[in-house]
Amino acid sequence: MIPSAAPLLSVRSLSKRYGDAQVLANVDLELRAGEILGIIGPNGAGKTTLMECLVGLLPADDGTVFFQGSALPVSRRREAMFFLPDGITPWSDQPVWRVTGLFRELHGFAKDREAEVVRRLELGPVLGKLVQALSKGYRRRLLLALALLTPQPILILDEPFDGFDLRQTLQVMALLREVAKDRALMLSIHQLKDAERICDRLLLLDTGRRLGLGTLAELAAQAGAARADLEEVFLGLTH
Amino acid sequence: MASRTEFRQVAALFGHELRRLLTGRAYWAMVLLLAPLAGYGYIEAVRLFGEASKTALSFPELARGMAPLDGILVPTLGAFYLGTTLLFPFVAIRALGQDKESGALKLCLQWPASTGTLVAVKLLAVGAAWALSLVVPLSAVILWRFSGGHLAWAETANLFLGHALYALAVAGIAFFAAAITESAATAAILTLAFTLGFWVLDFAAAAGPEWLRTLGELSPTQVLKQFEHGLLSPPHALALGALGLGLAALAAVVVPPGLTPRRRLARGGGAALVLIAVLAVSPFIGGARDLSEDRRNSFNPADEAALLRMDQGLTITLNLSPEDSRARELSTNVLGKLRRLVPRLDVHWARVDGAGPFGAAQGERYGLIVYEYAGRRAESRSNSPREILPLLHELAGTTVAPVDAAPYPGYPLVASTQAATVWFYGLLPAILLLLGWRSSRPGRVPPHHSLPTEGVRS
Repeated sequence: MIPSAAPLLSVRSLSKRYGDAQVLANVDLELRAGEILGIIGPNGAGKTTLMECLVGLLPADDGTVFFQGSALPVSRRREAMFFLPDGITPWSDQPVWRVTGLFRELHGFAKDREAEVVRRLELGPVLGKLVQALSKGYRRRLLLALALLTPQPILILDEPFDGFDLRQTLQVMALLREVAKDRALMLSIHQLKDAERICDRLLLLDTGRRLGLGTLAELAAQAGAARADLEEVFLGLTH
Repeated sequence: MASRTEFRQVAALFGHELRRLLTGRAYWAMVLLLAPLAGYGYIEAVRLFGEASKTALSFPELARGMAPLDGILVPTLGAFYLGTTLLFPFVAIRALGQDKESGALKLCLQWPASTGTLVAVKLLAVGAAWALSLVVPLSAVILWRFSGGHLAWAETANLFLGHALYALAVAGIAFFAAAITESAATAAILTLAFTLGFWVLDFAAAAGPEWLRTLGELSPTQVLKQFEHGLLSPPHALALGALGLGLAALAAVVVPPGLTPRRRLARGGGAALVLIAVLAVSPFIGGARDLSEDRRNSFNPADEAALLRMDQGLTITLNLSPEDSRARELSTNVLGKLRRLVPRLDVHWARVDGAGPFGAAQGERYGLIVYEYAGRRAESRSNSPREILPLLHELAGTTVAPVDAAPYPGYPLVASTQAATVWFYGLLPAILLLLGWRSSRPGRVPPHHSLPTEGVRS
């Protein structure tokens, strides 16, 4: 699907401070339907804070979020967005099949939908294992499966490829590309090569400020290096 | 009215929460410890009850003092009370604290259910898990019945209700502690500080000033004693229920991480004020019922009818130190019953000066109890209802002829503890271990995962 021009989600002047530290400074962004937007930036750029403020898990000091043109209050953000945080280990004493089953039941999906997600993420061999017994890669796949078993039109994933090898990363990218036919995706990605491979547009953050938002070509033009790859653009625009 | 979808979601959440509690080691550790603990309480109670019964069986007068409520049920559930106070918080905290620690709460808060529903379902699951642990004291009740022991169902059910409300209060405290702390360990320390703090309050209130005694009456451990005495007291039941549900509601109000500190304080403060208001008005709700079979909380029906008509305000001033044994007897034998019956009763503890080096108070008026009603006044040093009731009727200007009522016969019994010993120290722990092991198994993967599927599109 070709991304449409009208934004599904608009964010205006999102700001957040922790004491004296400005973690997000008037960040604006748009996410279009069917688009995969990558959020990139050095460590401490405010990527996770931006995502948590967007979904309402963290109180923002300022800013407005619009969904399909209407202001979306914090209390209703979960109707539009689902955020999968990085580094969580939920329900570690439960078997994998119970956790995926819970998400299916809660959101009213059919059993074959759950089975397909499990199959695509190759979770079959570990369905009967406890979550705490999973390797990092399998745990990451389980969390992705949970995100895919949610109904919100916008999926926000923090470091979705962390813990995967190259082959697994490419498989998950293919899956996410398929998902993006129906849902808009916002991905925080540390590995620039991964971001370059999967994202339609990129939001570059540094110390809470938006340094750029656009396609790789647009960011490269902004950096004054038309044929540069994302790593060169990153180095050119950040300090 | 909840839609079918909402019902399905709540049912799924409840199943999930209950499974998590029942697969956790904390729960099975609790019931495994409760089995020998409550078992010991029961076996010792049966042994002592049997010793006392040997004499009572020969003397009917002595038999009247043999009540299974005091002799068997309260000691057995007393051990269970210890488990609810010291072990149950660790189970209850898991429901919310573990989600916070593991990051699962961030996912839960994006589910279709509201935070209030999430916390309510967790509380319900914790309640269900606690109810399952009742298998330990209930098996003692069954063993007692099989031994030929007598049970009065109303007072037995009332006692279990008291323990259920106490568990609700403990769960509420645990939820609140989990909501305001970052780790489950800190929440456990905070909960124990609360529950053990009530013990300290009980000690302090016993000899403290009047305001401390009033506060002490709201302590969950003191409230539980009302149920142990066979009294179904709506104000006490409301206080325990409000404490449990109120603190759980407070947890739901403050737990969402997306709140600004100011908003969290405003919401939490507002909810706390509502809870304090409910707790403050609870003592003013009347209508306590004596469910004890021996009517220990009641006077003769004729006396009660006359006392119920004393609506002009009765004031009792006690020139007694609260820790004096006469004061305690008076509280149990007379004041507690009067509070249940006389519509406008005011009890004052006069300031007692000149306490001796061993706490013995001195002075001529010490020990005197002053009764004032409708402009009339009477004084007495007695703490027996036989002397006090005629005095009150005289103040009210009424004459009362006691109604003949069948005396409580008492139920002495010498029972064997052999079966209970095998059950509580051997069989029950073995069954619980087996159940605990089974519940920790991942279970069988459902068949739909082995069927061919198509597409992952939304």
